[in-house]
Amino acid sequence: MNAAAQPPAALSAVPPDPARGEVVFHVRGLSKTYGAGEAAVHALAGVDLDFRQGELVVLLGPSGSGKSTLLNLLGGLDTPTAGTLLYRGWDLGAADEEALTQYRRGEVGFVFQAYNLIPSLTARENVGLIGELASDPIPPEEALRLVGLGARLDHFPAQLSGGEQQRVAIARAIAKRPRVLLCDEPTGALDVRTGIVVLEAIERINRELGTLAAIITHNAVMAAMADRVFSLSDGRVVHVQANAQRASVSTLAW
Amino acid sequence: MSLLDRKLLRDLRALKSQALAVSLVMACGLTMMVMTRSLIVSLENARARYYEEYRFADVFARLKRAPDDVARRIAEIPGVAAVQPSVGRMVTIDLAGLPEPVMAWFGTVPERGEPLLNRLHLRRGRLLDPGIRGEILVSEAFADVHRLGPGDELAAILNGRKVPLRIAGIVLSPEFVFEAPPGAALPDNRTFAVVWMNYQELAEAFSMEGAFNQVSVALEPGASDRAVIAELDRLLMPYGGLRAYGRRHHASDVRVDDEIRVLLGLAVGFPIVFLAVGAFMTHAVMSRLITLQREQIAMLKACGFGRREIGLHYLKFALVIVTVGTVLGVIGGILLGHRLVDLYHLFFRFPDLHFELATGVLFAAAAASALAAVVGVWGAVRRAMRLPPAEAMRPEPPAEFKPSFVERLGLGRWVGVSLRMALRNLQRKPVQALLTGVALALATAILIIPNAFRDGVSYVLDFQWDIVQRQSVAVSLVEPGPVRALADFRTLPGVVSTEPFRATPVELVSGPVARRLNLIGLRAEGGLSRVLDAGLRQIVLPARGIVLSSKLGEVLGVRIGDEVLVRSLEGRRVERLVPVAAFAEDFAGVSAFMELAALNRLLLEGDQISGAYVAVDRGQWAEFLAAVKETPRATSVVVKEAMRDSFRKTTAESIGVLQMIYLLFATLVAFGIVYNSARISLSERARELATLRVLGFTRREVGAVLVGELTLVTVVAVPVGLWLGGWLARGLLTIVNTETVRLPLVLTSFNYSFAASVVTVATVVSLAVAARRIREIDLVSALKVRD
Ligand SMILES: Nc1ncnc2c1ncn2[C@@H]1O[C@H](COP(=O)(O)OP(=O)(O)O)[C@@H](O)[C@H]1O
Ligand SMILES: [Mg+2]
Repeated sequence: MNAAAQPPAALSAVPPDPARGEVVFHVRGLSKTYGAGEAAVHALAGVDLDFRQGELVVLLGPSGSGKSTLLNLLGGLDTPTAGTLLYRGWDLGAADEEALTQYRRGEVGFVFQAYNLIPSLTARENVGLIGELASDPIPPEEALRLVGLGARLDHFPAQLSGGEQQRVAIARAIAKRPRVLLCDEPTGALDVRTGIVVLEAIERINRELGTLAAIITHNAVMAAMADRVFSLSDGRVVHVQANAQRASVSTLAW
Repeated sequence: MSLLDRKLLRDLRALKSQALAVSLVMACGLTMMVMTRSLIVSLENARARYYEEYRFADVFARLKRAPDDVARRIAEIPGVAAVQPSVGRMVTIDLAGLPEPVMAWFGTVPERGEPLLNRLHLRRGRLLDPGIRGEILVSEAFADVHRLGPGDELAAILNGRKVPLRIAGIVLSPEFVFEAPPGAALPDNRTFAVVWMNYQELAEAFSMEGAFNQVSVALEPGASDRAVIAELDRLLMPYGGLRAYGRRHHASDVRVDDEIRVLLGLAVGFPIVFLAVGAFMTHAVMSRLITLQREQIAMLKACGFGRREIGLHYLKFALVIVTVGTVLGVIGGILLGHRLVDLYHLFFRFPDLHFELATGVLFAAAAASALAAVVGVWGAVRRAMRLPPAEAMRPEPPAEFKPSFVERLGLGRWVGVSLRMALRNLQRKPVQALLTGVALALATAILIIPNAFRDGVSYVLDFQWDIVQRQSVAVSLVEPGPVRALADFRTLPGVVSTEPFRATPVELVSGPVARRLNLIGLRAEGGLSRVLDAGLRQIVLPARGIVLSSKLGEVLGVRIGDEVLVRSLEGRRVERLVPVAAFAEDFAGVSAFMELAALNRLLLEGDQISGAYVAVDRGQWAEFLAAVKETPRATSVVVKEAMRDSFRKTTAESIGVLQMIYLLFATLVAFGIVYNSARISLSERARELATLRVLGFTRREVGAVLVGELTLVTVVAVPVGLWLGGWLARGLLTIVNTETVRLPLVLTSFNYSFAASVVTVATVVSLAVAARRIREIDLVSALKVRD
């Protein structure tokens, strides 16, 4: 990984957020039900949480506990069935399709477990594609350098390993300078060593850009790298843990 | 270029053979559309220019004989701008080297100056000089067949006297754009000619000096031909006038109109079928693409691309396909159009018929193909636009495999592993199997159409010439004469039997509809020329009542037992209500028959005949023809075999060319469809097949799964396609059939087996190509990323 001491020029151009600690997502009684009647699945059943500016949050919980559902609601991919969901005071839960698209375009960066790169575009182009949506994007080369892929710019996804693909996905997510970075099991398909490289990339973005980062995992070891850890079970938050000190990713014992 | 567009281009490159197949199918439809539309424009413009420049008349009448000053009285009818009287006669020509006699329509040109109306266009040689005797102008189509040119000689029997004549020039006339004997459905340029002579010479030969027996009238702009026709009829009545008629009923002009109508039908029918297939294929390609790119779409949406951007992105795929198809189609249409215009010279003689691109059709073509594409992709693109991003992120549930129907029947152990998997696949993805099946059925159906046209034409020929007309020759008399004349024909060498016929011009009226035609009187149960019903059984002509061709019955809107008004246009001009006795099959269009004696009774004339059908002994054929040439009473002689040959050489040949083009397109399209389906099902299966390979199945076994699937689908789809094709052919024939051109729906087993074979071959070839790709499946990457 390219461990530059100084952030790249494009990143230093972002003013440090003076309101660090400000509430970004205000979540109260948030519920999501799939289906109806007998077959109804209560994926989220009344979640109360606040996400703050600059935090790195880890969402823990067994499979099917509602982590992805929560992340999708935060990211404006889906709309809640009940409850309050505010993004910086704006009612995200009540937004329509058009507004959600604008919200995702301007504010959110996504990283998925399955990478979801466009196979017919190179790494550089995959990143550039999303950059086209932003008014002041990070140049794809720089975003890729930031995740340690400065040397693989013109490779197609099929020519990259899983970890490299995931790092391209992260570069893609941050290229438009999102204020929120949402990662759904970004290391789920990766081995330990590669997983660490990917997490380091996310952690670095969070640290250097002040982006709110939420990472889903069902691996409890990763909790140590977070500011706060939310544990979900059966659609509810069962535990919130605040770490006084974030552990460095490389020290995580897998 | 935006990166999304770059993705578009790369994806298209990966899809190129499929995209090209769709483009080609659309191009075939558009080629047809551009070609036929342009032919219509070319014909219409050539005709308009011709009629204008050569002063084609508006109203026409024939009569027995009227003195020249009647023409001056015609000129005084309000609305009449110009009058051109002339003499016209059917004459027998003896052409050296040609065994059979030639029928020729002799017309006249004024001694001095050009005719006021229906001017001749000189192709070669010169026009007639005043005062020079024994010179004629000959129509081009006839001259071409016999390679006649200025200076060549022939002999004509003018009023019983054989006269040697020299050709001064080869000409065209707006009256004979379609150069066929009056009343004939088919051109016969071998034994029919149109000839012009100086008025003085022909009039003298027929004792018509100072008189005329036909007249053409041009109307003043805005004048109604109805009023002029009525007045003309009144004026010519004492001179034995046949009812006058306008351009609408002019034999040659009607044929051009009919051709245009056929082209209009083709310009709509074929493109609709092909574009519908194109739309269907676009749909297949696009919905597969969108299924495969489900996760990509979800990602793009999650990252903030809006519905509209996603929709537009996938619409652009269709747009590229359509653009390529349209460009190819227009180029194809222009190239083929040029070739076909040349072919039209065989039917229609214009001084200047050249290809004119119908510019309007270019927009129509673009619009039609765009419409087809949008219809085709709409569902798929909407699916992409609506795809909920959160859901698409969830991995697809694993395929639910069940024992197939066949296995549940307990037949499992009779089928191999590959076939078993094929069966399970089909059952698991019935929609995809259905789509492939529909594609194959369409491919089969498309192949049925052109051969159905060809078989229809050849059926009509056989019907007309073998079943209906069993005579060798039809000999007409100069004037209708007594039955006694039959005796003259019997004495000709080689004559085995004769049967009299009567042909008289009538108008048949039922309610507001009226049709003019020659009413044919025949023996009740003729052996040489027979009237047949739809089941090809001979109709015995009744002593009372009239038999109409079924098309005529349809046009007049009558049923059996209804009465039609028969209005004679000749002689005593009787008007009588006659009951419809039966409907006959007649592919030449509208025709009507009566028993000979009944017809003569109706006309209030004695036992008159117009001529006779004659069966001739093959061995004495030459002697017979030679004798007919010298028979003064015989004017027109139709020799069946000659006519058939000539038809085969001209009309059938050019119909053949058209048919070949359609067939070629249909075959191309069928291959395109089948190849596309094979590719789609291959790429849908790529992962599965790669998995099988990884699990240790051999290439052969994996290939057998694909082969098995496609074979099963083909077995079901081809019969459905055959049925669908018959149905499409029927629809197209309904569009194309007119009153003078009628094709029956003939579906032969050859047609069926040809279509089935082409689709089968296409399937095998496509599978072979697909099999090569199976070999090329990169196992690792097939499992890693979907493409
Ligand atoms: N689109 C959907 N339709 C029906 N049920 C769903 C859907 N999405 C998620 N669920 C259900 O909601 C529950 C929570 O799912 P999810 O949030 O994906 O869990 P996690 O990410 O924690 O594994 C699960 O029981 C899941 O089956
Ligand atoms: Mg999940």
